[in-house]
Amino acid sequence: MSGAILQTAASLGSAVLANEYWPEIREGTLDTLIMTGVSLLFTVLIGLPLGVVLFLTGWTQRSERPGRAWVQWCVYSILSALVNLLRSVPFMILLILLIPATRAIVGTSLGVQGSIPPLVIAAAPFFARLTENLLREVDRGVFEACRSMGATTRQLVLWALLPETLPGILAAIIVTAVALVGYSAMSGVIGGGGLGDLAVRYGYQRFNTAVMLVTVAILVVLVQLIQVLGDRLVARFSHR
Amino acid sequence: MIELRKVDKQFHTAEGCVFALREVDLSVAGGDIYGIIGRSGAGKSTLLRILNLLERPTAGEVLIEEREITGLSGAGLRRLRQGIGMVFQNFNLLSSRTVYENVRLPLRIAGGLSSREESLRVAEALDLVGLTQQARRYPRQLSGGQRQRVGIARALANRPRLLLCDEATSALDPETTQSILSLLHDINRRLNLTIVLITHGMDVIRAVADRVAVLDHGRVVESGDVIDVFLSPSHRTTRALLAEIGMGAPGIATEVAQDANHHLQLWRLTCRGAIVATPILTAAAREHGLDIAVLQGSIGRIGDTPYAQLTVHITGADEQRQCHFRESLARADVHCERVS
Repeated sequence: MSGAILQTAASLGSAVLANEYWPEIREGTLDTLIMTGVSLLFTVLIGLPLGVVLFLTGWTQRSERPGRAWVQWCVYSILSALVNLLRSVPFMILLILLIPATRAIVGTSLGVQGSIPPLVIAAAPFFARLTENLLREVDRGVFEACRSMGATTRQLVLWALLPETLPGILAAIIVTAVALVGYSAMSGVIGGGGLGDLAVRYGYQRFNTAVMLVTVAILVVLVQLIQVLGDRLVARFSHR
Repeated sequence: MIELRKVDKQFHTAEGCVFALREVDLSVAGGDIYGIIGRSGAGKSTLLRILNLLERPTAGEVLIEEREITGLSGAGLRRLRQGIGMVFQNFNLLSSRTVYENVRLPLRIAGGLSSREESLRVAEALDLVGLTQQARRYPRQLSGGQRQRVGIARALANRPRLLLCDEATSALDPETTQSILSLLHDINRRLNLTIVLITHGMDVIRAVADRVAVLDHGRVVESGDVIDVFLSPSHRTTRALLAEIGMGAPGIATEVAQDANHHLQLWRLTCRGAIVATPILTAAAREHGLDIAVLQGSIGRIGDTPYAQLTVHITGADEQRQCHFRESLARADVHCERVS
């Protein structure tokens, strides 16, 4: 059964594009998946705590005690400025600016490895802001209830805020994943590997429109899949 | 149980300093249901939150079980709060957690219990509010009254000595309100739990409270046993709040007094206890040869005490016999007071 499907796909593939291109396309797709997946993982690992810190030091959570409020203000201002800075630099330029940093972190600025650090650095601030906004949307009553129970900030975040925002955070992860698919294609311009790299090399540099169209089609399907699966996941965890 | 001494709370706003509370003295005895009533903006919400330091007073002392709490912070404050339950108008449950997990949350926060002990405590609390069957459901799947029962179970899970209710029934329909109020009353008697509740409705006070304080513009203008405050309110805010539930409202008596050209004597007779059920009025009228028109009144029960408060017009006798009549009423513990 699956053999028959593969055969059909293969013959369909040959009809669209000469057989010599398919191994490269398969490899490119795999690279895109790896780039998106790994950078998504690091984006969430960095962006989620960053978003929580932004929220906890932001104006909605300012302490009544002046000393503490001042510390909060300082932390928030610095982190917020950094996040804004990274978000305001166009990704294309960020890619180029980060080349030395990328080399220092992963040893190369090329290929799959080389595109992951800039992807994370571009997406983490974005994800952090999404998280911060989600946390701000949590009903104030929930905070008050937790405070009245004598919860520490840690307990408040881990046992109340994050579970309450889980569906929103999953949705934010999906949005970020889709953005990362797009960004990862862009990194092809400076030799980042993946489907974007393929599209640039064949479609732009060698005027092979067919390869470019196939890569675009694969990207479209990829994004659709991420969105559909993501929506199901969000619905699964939503109890509102 | 609770002692407030000269408590002030100031808020700094764009227009300057505003007093939310001004020189509030309050004393709540253990095991009482203490009602704090006032209109919105009177400061009752702030007052309630001062009892677990969700709001800090600007001045004054707050003693809970003879311990001054305003100096507490950090771990000490968290321990204090873990021993005080709180119920909210909008329930404030976690929508992402089941009923069971919501009730378990304060136990996890306080820590120190094994998961077996935790589940026993949760079961105990859910049993108390009659929601054992709903443990696996999510708040969204429950009615408003059931959600508030979860809120109460959550507040009781840590076996607190004090329960604070922040307009616990304001978001509920009348029937559900009654069931939640009788639940609170039941819990108070069974667990000997002190309850402080705030409300804007005198009907809530009448239904459950033992003692009441009336708050107006941040000051306690009247306080005492519910029945005393109901039958002889001294402040105009209290009277206005009572009028909203039909007690002492200007009614036909005022109209009669205004319409009458002749000199009219209106008296308010108040009595409470077993005497309410006796034919004291007709007996006295027959004895002194008087006619009595009852113009308005209210007869019922406040807490466990029956009461009657009638506004009457006495005719058909000279001043001396009327005087004898009132004296005989006074001997029977009926309080007489000239209205007009």
